[in-house]
Amino acid sequence: MAQAIAKSDYTGAAHAPTKPTFGLFARPTAKTGLVGWLTTVDHKKIGMLYGGFAILFFLVGGIEALMIRTQLIVPNNRFVSAQLYNELFTMHGTTMIFLAVMPLNAAFFNLLIPIQVGARDVAFPRLNSFSLWVWVVGAILLNVGWISHFVPAWDFGGAPDVGWFGYSPLTSKQFTPDLSTDFWVLGIQLLGLSSIVASLNFIVTIINMRAPGLTMMRLPVFTWMALVTSFLLVLALPAIAIALVEVMFDRNFGTNFFEVSGGGQPILWQHLFWVFGHPEVYILILPPMGYVSEILPTFSRKPLFGYPIVVFSGVAIGFIGFGVWSHHMFTTGLGTIATAAFALATMAIAVPTGVKVFNWIGTLWGGRIVTRVPMMFALGFIWMFMMGGFTGIMHSAAPADAQQQDSYFVIAHFHYVLIGGATFALLAAIHFWFPKFFGRMVPEFWGKVSFWLIFVGFNATFFPMHFLGLNGMPRRTWTYDANMGWNEGNLFATIGAYLLGVGIFTYFAVLVWSFFKGKPAGNDPWDARTLEWSIPSPPPEHNFASIPKVHARDAWWYEKTHQDEIASEKAELMKAEEAHGGIHMPDQSWYPLFAAAGLLIGAYNFAQLKHPVLILGNQVLSSHLPLALAGLGILVLACYLWSLEGPGGYHIHLDAKGNATESRGGYHH
Amino acid sequence: MAQRTPLMPPLLHMTRLRSASRPILRLIAALTGGFALLLLTGCSKLHQVFSLSGPQSTMVTAGPVASRQWDLFMVTVWVCTFIFIVVGSVLAYAQIKFRAKTEADEHAAPPAEAGHGNPFVEIGLIAGSVILLVFIAIPTVRDIWYTHDVPEDEKAGAIEVTATGYQWWFKFDYPSELVKLPNGGEAPLSTGNELVVPANTAVRVQLRTVDVIHSFWIPKLAGKVDMMPNRGNFLWFKADKPGYYYGQCAEYCGESHAIMKFRVIALSAADYIKWLDNQKLSARTVTAQSLAADAAITHVRFASLKDTGPNSTLAGSPDFDADPFAAWKKMQDHDAGENAALITAGRKNFSDKTCITCHTVRGHEGIGIAGPELTHVGARSSIAAGVLENTPERLHQWIKDPAYFKPGNKMYHGGYIDVATGQPKFTLSDSEIDTLVAYLHSLK
Repeated sequence: MAQAIAKSDYTGAAHAPTKPTFGLFARPTAKTGLVGWLTTVDHKKIGMLYGGFAILFFLVGGIEALMIRTQLIVPNNRFVSAQLYNELFTMHGTTMIFLAVMPLNAAFFNLLIPIQVGARDVAFPRLNSFSLWVWVVGAILLNVGWISHFVPAWDFGGAPDVGWFGYSPLTSKQFTPDLSTDFWVLGIQLLGLSSIVASLNFIVTIINMRAPGLTMMRLPVFTWMALVTSFLLVLALPAIAIALVEVMFDRNFGTNFFEVSGGGQPILWQHLFWVFGHPEVYILILPPMGYVSEILPTFSRKPLFGYPIVVFSGVAIGFIGFGVWSHHMFTTGLGTIATAAFALATMAIAVPTGVKVFNWIGTLWGGRIVTRVPMMFALGFIWMFMMGGFTGIMHSAAPADAQQQDSYFVIAHFHYVLIGGATFALLAAIHFWFPKFFGRMVPEFWGKVSFWLIFVGFNATFFPMHFLGLNGMPRRTWTYDANMGWNEGNLFATIGAYLLGVGIFTYFAVLVWSFFKGKPAGNDPWDARTLEWSIPSPPPEHNFASIPKVHARDAWWYEKTHQDEIASEKAELMKAEEAHGGIHMPDQSWYPLFAAAGLLIGAYNFAQLKHPVLILGNQVLSSHLPLALAGLGILVLACYLWSLEGPGGYHIHLDAKGNATESRGGYHH
Repeated sequence: MAQRTPLMPPLLHMTRLRSASRPILRLIAALTGGFALLLLTGCSKLHQVFSLSGPQSTMVTAGPVASRQWDLFMVTVWVCTFIFIVVGSVLAYAQIKFRAKTEADEHAAPPAEAGHGNPFVEIGLIAGSVILLVFIAIPTVRDIWYTHDVPEDEKAGAIEVTATGYQWWFKFDYPSELVKLPNGGEAPLSTGNELVVPANTAVRVQLRTVDVIHSFWIPKLAGKVDMMPNRGNFLWFKADKPGYYYGQCAEYCGESHAIMKFRVIALSAADYIKWLDNQKLSARTVTAQSLAADAAITHVRFASLKDTGPNSTLAGSPDFDADPFAAWKKMQDHDAGENAALITAGRKNFSDKTCITCHTVRGHEGIGIAGPELTHVGARSSIAAGVLENTPERLHQWIKDPAYFKPGNKMYHGGYIDVATGQPKFTLSDSEIDTLVAYLHSLK
């Protein structure tokens, strides 16, 4: 076999598709079109796919939110049924966390990490493609239940309705007998798989693929936060993976992990869920802290204040974040000692979080604050995140939390953190890096319009919710009575939500316009500081003509201030690169997509294992087992062929003018 | 440090907004601000948006547990307000002071020695944060112990009740108050959805569930504790004075979670004894003779909840909301104009329509335990787990269409409808419902 690989590699002429050594498909080479996108291993294209899907789901989750707010606009409303409302809040939470914010962060991990570390792709390009498509499969499974509302024959019982937290024993077959919960379990499981695979890829990329001179303490803060986040994902997701397997077995194979009648312990689910769920909060917010730590220095025109402290506080947050999970469970009867311990640990985590805020303010201090749209969102982030942080401190006082837990006060708290915090930072990041990856500027004017609409709408929606919660309004409440004193607050919040919706719509409509009509951006429109601004917009497939040598933190800022030195260094680096065969790039592959397709077929059928297969109401199979096994077969076959097709790869050669030619075969001569 | 020579004209695309677009931006800002102001001032009930005086307010407390919790909350609010004023002022000052005011200003490099960090500032801020958190930590730890269980010196006088969560209602048992059963045995006094307790007495509530997780929350009296399967949770509270308090399930528990409510009625010691004595009696049987003996009592038609939603079928009157406690007290009296024939027919229908298989009416036919005990349901102020007030009209509506008011409930799914076949088990006419209402309201 080794001989065969070598032989086939050497037979390929330039531009000829590489023949697989063993397999059904030639390795695809199309860079554009459907095949190009489906088989891509380019971290930038994968990042854009993550981003595109995530924005789509962000809008879906937003529509779900607006339906929730419409239901609550007046008391005793019947705009949606109790059942549909429960599906809406379950899917709003699940969608915004797993299908919007996490993949938007994943999009920026993909787009930025390889460039910020001075690499040409991630460590495992095909695995990266696999992560993306598994994520898509998980998203499909989570949402497949909606079809029941439109095609009653597909009786999945609607979308999942157990809450994003899926507390046992509500997830028991006894209380949610329909398939929606099975799809929820498998959907989350696959999203977790996707995240673990992607995180391992980023950890290896950041640690092993840094350009010469790029020491860990020179890494851009965003990449640092991405590294911490990746470790959190790898360590936190197994807890929920185990818990989900246990629920799946309880529901389908008669185990008793959480089954009360069999002596199971529902409290165990909560511990496993929050051991994942609390680090998950930092998984959502650490990357946004990274974006802000890039944007603030750029628009303050000075380096980040206290870089080592910002980095270490990020690591500390990640570390302490594993020791505070039970503050989500203060009302479950933990007892005095555990409650006190988790209350104090929760207060402790406020310190490194506060340190970050202090250092962001230190960054502004003495700078030249240029209030472009990304900076406005970043400054909005600091203010709103601070508000969410304060209510977080309030929750750490466990006896007071007994009144706030599961009330609208908590909803206000975490929306200040996740919209005012994470989403503001993401909107800042999208506006900031859009010119880099699409080569066009987003108009300032409309960006500012959307900022103010979003800022006012967001606060009008969520500020009153603090008071609704303190006035005793519980969460997850389909309707409420008119005599509780909640009418005006809810009306106000709903009007605010519509305004927020208009703002979000404006923001993305402007992006679409800019994609087609925006002014050309140039390499470095913001006069920024990190390596991605040193290369063309949009970046070429190979990112760097030559792998850069890093001399300082804010590597590109250093290059801009030491141009003569850098120019001669660059010429030598390019010569050296061409001398050992040109720029080595990874080959595309079909197999990550096929493996994910096998997972989709397998999981979709496995979820309804014991149900007969119906076509037009006629039973064609007594169970879904054969179809589930078929999916498994596709997965195994795809992985087998994937490993047999070999690493592949080709070379890009740049001439003096920067024109690229490709050659295949003969690497390592 | 080398002089900075830009690779290209700096901030090529960052020229300030063209002068033509600035007025438009101002217009948009004015419109947005105007909209905000409209919300803030045009709404005549604006203060209601920030109201904290509702029946489930955590601020207007009525007992020591809830007031400790509110006081602790206020400690956190003051500490955070202090931090906000300090940090917010510095941030606001930095934003204004260091803002690039002109285009040239934007392009100018900041002073070379611009801060990269200062260890003294950092350590000082960390130490300051820790000290401020200690102000929160001390009362937090103290109150964790205080709110956890009845204080030692009050244990002797405390009463114990058991609250059990069902999808979607609450059962309350009084383990130390035994009632005689018709068969000669004894059982704890049991009631549903309205917990009656003595005021000024510590109440320890054992929290149980028969199905999923629920959470027991009476905001004015105590923060919530969950009802966890396979766990012996409990909480305690004390009502400072007699009154009528609203509670609600606070953990998502399935389809009708939002409308799983209950009430706590705190009575003076004497009233509590009176109430207990009445509750321990078997169900009241109304005959023409017994009615003649009863003194005529003003009929109480107190308000239903103010149902102003689009699907509202009954308008509520404000009497109930104005003084629910008085309304509850009047509910303890016999209704005026009771009709013995109607009540007797209702008792028969209660059997014929299989109500007895799920509901207990002690001394009468009802023996079921799947639903709330109804021996004294006529003396409760609410029905359907606090969703509706216990007026004849509302009771009629509830019996007629329980699935409308409480989707997924077992009275309909399983009681009225055979779950396996989806077929109704019996028919129920409006006049039959009227007899059931008369019967249930006679159960004082």
